Amino acid sequence: MIKLADDVSSGDHVCAIPDSVEHLGEISSGFVVHGLARGEKIFFFDDDGAADGLLRRMAEDGHDPEEPLRVGQLEIVPEEGTRLTFRTPLADIHAGITGEVLRALDEGWAGARITGQVHAALDPGASGTLPEYDGLLARLVRENPDTLTALCTFDHVHFPDESIDIMRALHRDHLAATGAYDDGLLRIVRLGIGHARLAGEIDHSNRPKITTLLHQALDATLRSADAPTDIGLDMASVRFVDVASAVALVHAAESFPSTHRLVLHRVRPRVQRILDRCGAAFSPQLAFDDEPPRTVPPSKSAR
Amino acid sequence: MQVNAAPRPPGFAHALVHADDTAELVRRVAPVAAAADRDTGAQIALAVSPEAERALREELADCTGGVGRLTTLTRSARESGQTVAAWRARELRALSSSGRPVFVVAQHDPDLDGIDGGFWIELEAALNISLDGLAVTQLCVYPRIPLYGAVGDAALANHPLLLHAEQFAANPAFRSPAEVLAALPFAPPHLLGPPDIQLQYNTFELSRVRDAVEAAARACRFDQVRGEDMVQAVNEVATNAVEHGSPEAGLSIWTRPGELVCEVHDTGSLPLSLIGLTPPHPSRPRGRGTWIARQLCDSLHVWRADDGTRVRLLVRA
Repeated sequence: MIKLADDVSSGDHVCAIPDSVEHLGEISSGFVVHGLARGEKIFFFDDDGAADGLLRRMAEDGHDPEEPLRVGQLEIVPEEGTRLTFRTPLADIHAGITGEVLRALDEGWAGARITGQVHAALDPGASGTLPEYDGLLARLVRENPDTLTALCTFDHVHFPDESIDIMRALHRDHLAATGAYDDGLLRIVRLGIGHARLAGEIDHSNRPKITTLLHQALDATLRSADAPTDIGLDMASVRFVDVASAVALVHAAESFPSTHRLVLHRVRPRVQRILDRCGAAFSPQLAFDDEPPRTVPPSKSAR
Repeated sequence: MQVNAAPRPPGFAHALVHADDTAELVRRVAPVAAAADRDTGAQIALAVSPEAERALREELADCTGGVGRLTTLTRSARESGQTVAAWRARELRALSSSGRPVFVVAQHDPDLDGIDGGFWIELEAALNISLDGLAVTQLCVYPRIPLYGAVGDAALANHPLLLHAEQFAANPAFRSPAEVLAALPFAPPHLLGPPDIQLQYNTFELSRVRDAVEAAARACRFDQVRGEDMVQAVNEVATNAVEHGSPEAGLSIWTRPGELVCEVHDTGSLPLSLIGLTPPHPSRPRGRGTWIARQLCDSLHVWRADDGTRVRLLVRA
């Protein structure tokens, strides 16, 4: 069954195969933020910097993780803890997680959510195999249908393709593919007519994608009667832009019809500095906005 | 031919004058500088020895526009003539943006001759490019017989004007920067020993280059902005290498406490090493990378090597 990211709830055990590190951050952040909003306690198993990616993306999505971390609603299991978990006998893991779910309920949370970076399950010293751990998690979710939710992510950096194929087949529920462009360095998710969210790095290798995106966005906007006159790019998760791409953004704005503007939302300071050096301040059709774009997602606008 | 009979149109005027000691320097330069101050309201800026500066300031004490001093770069930046030319262009662009022209007096400093005087050959050729179009007159003072013959030859070839008896005259020996660099070869920068990090990359692996420089900047304990600027600068040079040089290029990194040196090497052949010295026109889509990279690090030196093109970038904490 295909599930939307904001449609996962208690009793769900969902699998996602992210296209890239940026995609993983997007999925994890969405899952965690959704759980926080439902009043659930989140356990995130960290390994190889995954928690940093999660916290960074949550902040970029406008959900400061500081408060949930402080009050214990978001609990990051440190790397050593994650690895130790996968060296623990399966029966003990079962008892441990069952206990944590009960403890979360005792503490007053509405339920518990589990996700994170679990490639330690592939380590030679692991107490079980990947399908065995997954079977255990499926059992835990079955036993706690109203209080436990799990998201399993298997990325191409940490999991071999054959493991990913097996895990994909073992899961009944999958997160919906978003139809985004993702080259591993840059991820583009369309947000509605004339708007998109970018995540990652823009350089010589993927610069043409940006110019194509802007042309298509302008074209779509011009062709729809009630579309806004702003073409918006949410830049909150763009960590690097090279000079030629910064120039391309400035020139694209200048090539728009005078009725239309290019609005860059939530530009990071590093990217802003290079845009400034490329003349962004002198382009009347290029605007900056510290707020995210206000758009209707394409799936809902189509209804 | 007398070329200063009428007021000079705005634009860079680069003139050579010979003087063998401070007294002769003051005697030959001061009247022309005073005239520039009087006739065109020029600001006078000095890049001369402390002794010559004292003497000139004394002689020009009556100048209404004041006498300033150009910034002296750090030792490692000063070894690259093209880097000095790029920084000087930034400084003089800022000075001349006030609307008043600038009259610069610069003096040959034998301390920067290096092993063959290459610094001066490159600096003067690069200034002809980097200061092009600026309302700047620069008078360069050289001894008649410098230690290295090439320094004297280059001085003659790099200056379109000669100062004789307080008059500027066209210099028939003047050559374009490309001709000068072809006629007067000089040694490449000194070797740095085995690098701490070395990697090969192609167009689709530029993120590896950025990651390596970012890690090195962290190891050098640079503050965040300094580190990010160096990553950006190296990325621009590395992009040029695979876009214009060869499909695969190399990056070498040397880290020392508080100093980071990155060198990009491709096997392509660059027609002229003096690139990124002038601001590109705003409407041009490309050609800004090296220009901006030069502003983001302390020194950016491009040279043609036997095995291709090399660019060395240096940044200090």
